[in-house]
Amino acid sequence: MTNVRLLSRLSVAALTAAFPIAAMAQDTPSVAFVPQLIGIPYFNAMENGGNAAAADLGVEFIFQGPVDANPLDQLQIVESLISRGVDAIAVSVLDASALAPLMDSAASQGAILFTSDSDAADSGRPVYVAQATDEGLGTKLIEELIARVGTDATIGIVSGEATASNLNAWIGYMQERVEDAYPEVTLLDPEFAGGTAERAAQLSTDLIAAHPDLDAIIAVASSTCPGVAQAIETSGKDIMGTGYCSPNTAREYLKSGAFGFTVLWDPYQLGYLTVWAGQQLIAGTPFAAENTVPTFPAPVTFDAETGILLLGEPAVFTAENVDEYDF
Amino acid sequence: MDRLTGIGREATLAMACVAAVILFGLLSPAFGTGGNAATVLRNGYELWLIALGMTLLMAMGAIDVSVGAVMGVTAILTGQALLADLPLAAVVIVGPAAGAGLGLVAGAVVVWGRIPAIVATLGLFGVFRMVIFLLLGGQWLSGLPADLTRLVDWRGLGIPMGLLIVALVYAIAWLFLRRTTYGPHLLAIGFDEDRARLMGLAVTWVRMATFAASGALCGLAGVVYIGIYRNVSMTIGADIALEAVAAVILGGTPIFGGRISLLGTLLGVLLLRILQNGLMLIGVPSLWQTVVTGALLLGVLSAEVLARRLREGARG
Repeated sequence: MTNVRLLSRLSVAALTAAFPIAAMAQDTPSVAFVPQLIGIPYFNAMENGGNAAAADLGVEFIFQGPVDANPLDQLQIVESLISRGVDAIAVSVLDASALAPLMDSAASQGAILFTSDSDAADSGRPVYVAQATDEGLGTKLIEELIARVGTDATIGIVSGEATASNLNAWIGYMQERVEDAYPEVTLLDPEFAGGTAERAAQLSTDLIAAHPDLDAIIAVASSTCPGVAQAIETSGKDIMGTGYCSPNTAREYLKSGAFGFTVLWDPYQLGYLTVWAGQQLIAGTPFAAENTVPTFPAPVTFDAETGILLLGEPAVFTAENVDEYDF
Repeated sequence: MDRLTGIGREATLAMACVAAVILFGLLSPAFGTGGNAATVLRNGYELWLIALGMTLLMAMGAIDVSVGAVMGVTAILTGQALLADLPLAAVVIVGPAAGAGLGLVAGAVVVWGRIPAIVATLGLFGVFRMVIFLLLGGQWLSGLPADLTRLVDWRGLGIPMGLLIVALVYAIAWLFLRRTTYGPHLLAIGFDEDRARLMGLAVTWVRMATFAASGALCGLAGVVYIGIYRNVSMTIGADIALEAVAAVILGGTPIFGGRISLLGTLLGVLLLRILQNGLMLIGVPSLWQTVVTGALLLGVLSAEVLARRLREGARG
């Protein structure tokens, strides 16, 4: 009795869940985005951007991801989306090697698989919607910082794990930019705080003590942002903090003046661009070198050689504009 | 040698601290300033508090590797109490009370579950981490009011409140160890738990109380943490359990229990923090700091083993 009732309830649930998907597969094109995990502000912002694009472009947008950044769960979600007949599926890849085998089964079932936010370059994906280049992020931060603290500044760097390749790449481009363009600037060697905010604060305090002429500290890993800011506030010195920090993380410090600005990209726009790219793929429209995307102020560039569709210049968050963002 | 004070290691550690201070003072002009001394001490508050609980646990042959996560949970609760505009007196109670509760959970698993402390607390570490994740909801807790910061940095007779708190809890612990039966019973359990039970000691009570005390100290560390950093991220306290164990062992409380030195732990934490600060100031890359700490620990332990062999060799 209870089993029967449970079974009928389950099948009703399954039908209601499956029906709208099946229906829309025939009518409007459908684009899915599979984040690395759900429930965090960053991917929530991407979801909002995707929903806005879906409304503007007349496509259905599906947002579904694992609850704990588990590659296997993510893979199963992608597979279920393929078998549900979704037209284009963007993935923020957790395990780059796992995507390639899915490409064929996706193609045989009429789905287009591509990457966004995190890439699997060797998977044969038609396009990677990238938030920013390492060079763009490194250079942008140095330019913005030196415009504020002067061309003869002493600048410290506090990073996270010494093995994080993306963070090291950003630091590399910072060093390169300073070497090429600002010979008077002293860019200190990076200090590595690992993953904890308390260690970042201690390192920053020590940096400030060791270099009485310090003008600025760059928090490279987002986990180091609060620690760097706290150390600057405690020191009471006129040192400018900055880094790759999300508006929610840095809001308080931008307003208190401990941070002058932060640099990152806007995940809302990234979500928007992802859905737009999915729509283009479904329509079979090839990407041009420069693409006009609705609501985007500047054209979006596409590099045919690497297959990278680039969101554009990194965004700069300051005390003035930080309240416009929520991630 | 007195089993309760363990003079010997303390003298070595004190000399190591003095030597480090002189060396760093000569090598870096920024080291020997009052401001830097205050920084070194301020960076030690949470570790001192957590290492005190760890000293008690290790003296009775137990350990708690979940201390960092307990500090994390209690720091979040303290932060939320601050945001809820509770009176400051209530805010500072929340952390230690919750910490004591979590400590009792660990104690119950170890005592009644009959699971070795390192295994049980490793499991709880994972559970408490998940609690942190759920409490934070993927967001950082930030933008906290500065009320606790003013409290921690408030100075009485020139001494910061944070340091006074550390001194107070160590004094209380010392009195308990010295003036009540708690001290001898703790060491008896650490020395040989079964024999302590046969002797009729309240083994269960002592073990539960020690886990609860350690949890409460982690909670106090959580309060101080909010005072110092005013934000909580997912990774809070990830390294502090290992640092605490290192400081306790450096201080002369052995990992298998039976002996305790509060002064040793105080000095062990101080030495770790002086080294971290001083190495940075003389320009040693931060990656090498952990190597120095690790080498120091290995050096002390092997010197101890060597000394014991020499003593035993002389006797035999």
